[in-house]
Amino acid sequence: MEVNTGKILRVNLSTGKVSRESVPESIATDFIGGRGYGVKYLYDEIAPGTDPLGEKNKVIMLAGPLAGTMAQAVSRWIVCTRSPLTGAFARSVCGADFGAWMRFADLEVIIIEGKTEKPAYIHITPDGCEILSAKEIWGKDTKETQAWLNSQHGKNTRTACIGPAGEKLVKYAAVVSDRRTAGRCGTGTVMGSKNLKAVAITATRALHLADPDTYNTLAREQVNIIKDNDAFLNHKEWGTTSTQDITNTIGIYPVRNFRYGQQVDYQKLAGAEYRKLRVGDMGCYSCPARCGKVHTVTSGIYKGAHSEGPEYESIWAFTGPIESNNIEASIRADQLCDDYGLDTISTGNTIGFAYELYEKGLINKSDTSGLELIYGRHEPMVALIKKIALREGIGDLLAEGTMRVAAKLDKGSDVYAMNVKGLEMPAYEPRGAKSQGYNYATASVGASHCYGYAAQDIFGAPFPHPTDRFDEGNADIVIFNQNSTASNECGVICAFAGGWGWAQLYGKLLAAARGIDKFKDDAYLAEVGDRMFNLERAFNIRQGFGRKDDYLPDRIRTEPLHTREAKGEGQIVGHSDEFLDKYYELRGWTKDGVPNEKKLKELRLDSVLKDIKV
Amino acid sequence: MTVEVNIPPVLQALVNGVNRINVEGSAVGECLNEMVAKYPQLKPKLFNKRGNLRKGISIFINKENAFPEPLLKPVRPGDKIYISHIVLGG
Repeated sequence: MEVNTGKILRVNLSTGKVSRESVPESIATDFIGGRGYGVKYLYDEIAPGTDPLGEKNKVIMLAGPLAGTMAQAVSRWIVCTRSPLTGAFARSVCGADFGAWMRFADLEVIIIEGKTEKPAYIHITPDGCEILSAKEIWGKDTKETQAWLNSQHGKNTRTACIGPAGEKLVKYAAVVSDRRTAGRCGTGTVMGSKNLKAVAITATRALHLADPDTYNTLAREQVNIIKDNDAFLNHKEWGTTSTQDITNTIGIYPVRNFRYGQQVDYQKLAGAEYRKLRVGDMGCYSCPARCGKVHTVTSGIYKGAHSEGPEYESIWAFTGPIESNNIEASIRADQLCDDYGLDTISTGNTIGFAYELYEKGLINKSDTSGLELIYGRHEPMVALIKKIALREGIGDLLAEGTMRVAAKLDKGSDVYAMNVKGLEMPAYEPRGAKSQGYNYATASVGASHCYGYAAQDIFGAPFPHPTDRFDEGNADIVIFNQNSTASNECGVICAFAGGWGWAQLYGKLLAAARGIDKFKDDAYLAEVGDRMFNLERAFNIRQGFGRKDDYLPDRIRTEPLHTREAKGEGQIVGHSDEFLDKYYELRGWTKDGVPNEKKLKELRLDSVLKDIKV
Repeated sequence: MTVEVNIPPVLQALVNGVNRINVEGSAVGECLNEMVAKYPQLKPKLFNKRGNLRKGISIFINKENAFPEPLLKPVRPGDKIYISHIVLGG
């Protein structure tokens, strides 16, 4: 059996040079694929101090070794780069079909370098790659862009593109494929900085597996397990459109820029209310869940608004930060973000921040072109999305994200900026789910909910052990969640699908896809996750990050949470230093948060030692 | 046969913050029935009209998922049952 390590397409936009290469077996063994390859190539190829929006930054698109096969829910794909929002390692995950299409073109990695003089897009086929003019689509939204590319290259084409927000270098612009987004960290901004509008792949189904017979037997077994699995059936029915029912009930739905953990009259936001506006389902390649719930607004000022989504994070982003219970506004806002190519989480969080600046008198009507940013009013929120995407008026400032807005405004506004490492916090209140909060604090990318999701705190999951959600002592849980997420993102398996009862097959599928037997060993997969996380940490250390950047915002650490009718009133995250000491010790890091020599050698990352000066 | 049933955060909100309860029973179903006898407000959250667990609820015995047919799974004295909402995330 021949080992299949996956292939790389390297495109230099400055020189026009295109090349294909195979991933060396040593890298495949140590990093498996997907996000593993992402951090390895980013670390090796991005020098410290590289300007995220400069020619030398790179965009790396990654499909996993399982993508495009009959296995279910494994065709998601990832974008890695140095983030223009945070300056740290960036990883953003996307759905739809693009990951499968990468594999059909026999690619697992697309490394995009340099910058074109004029707007361009990359068109890839299994045998070729061209850099073509994007003159016709520059300025177009993501829907128009994808439709135009399909008209040019045919129905067997799938696209990852940016919208106007990416072109305007909004710091949290997304990469959009169909109606799914690689939203976080400003990956679309980096594409925009390269004058790169899109990457389009035209291909038909083709498998590239080391051991297809074994693989397909395992995949059939997976299908049989999933079809009756309760978690799968629940996800198929609801997607994530009812998570707010739980987070509001337990007081961890961030409201009014993270001052409250429960929204007044939150029942108006219930999953059942969104269901009344549901008109269909959409899904990713080879996934029967079709968890993208499509909504259409049929009356009122947002009549005609139509979106695949919002899902939980976006429901929150356009309700909680401004304390609006208007679900029609959230559907419109979600649609606009997808059209313009904006990260919904950073957009909603930044708008909630602007509302608080307005409340505190740090900005006023003359700054907002007359918009009254008063909590509960959704119309200004919807208006601000367009302003941000096109950098119009105050949108030009808000397009920089909360960290930079606070730095530019000064006036003490930094205490209202709810981010970690510059990445805006998502839809779980850290004071009511502290392992989730400490995941925000220590995640390589900044405040990401899905970098080590604390299902123990939020849903009562009892493995590897149950937690008290107010306990700040669960460093082991945070590490377990982060490492297992990293390992799963080698796949790249959908975060939801990991709970559908087939986890025992994951390593076997990887082994059959690659032809590398050691992937069958769960302990080895955990080691790879640990290796990835440590290399990401080294990437960040090399860029100047350290312990000082591993703290939650002051508000979370000093202001008591108000939970209205829920448990948790008065909670703060008050033991950050004790937590970090314990977390660093368990990770094998120094007191400053730097991986130590023993740890790096244990993970075969010896070459990193010289870079981070342990 | 005392068994500890752990109640997830969202259901604790219905039972004045109680996070665990000791019950008697030799199978998960018996244990949960005793719990809902004490806290009837939990019954519609856990069971459908046919008496089956509602979609979206997972049962773990100690750390092992009790799927499939969780209500029939036997338990021993000292076991811990965990009720968990199936991870929805977002």
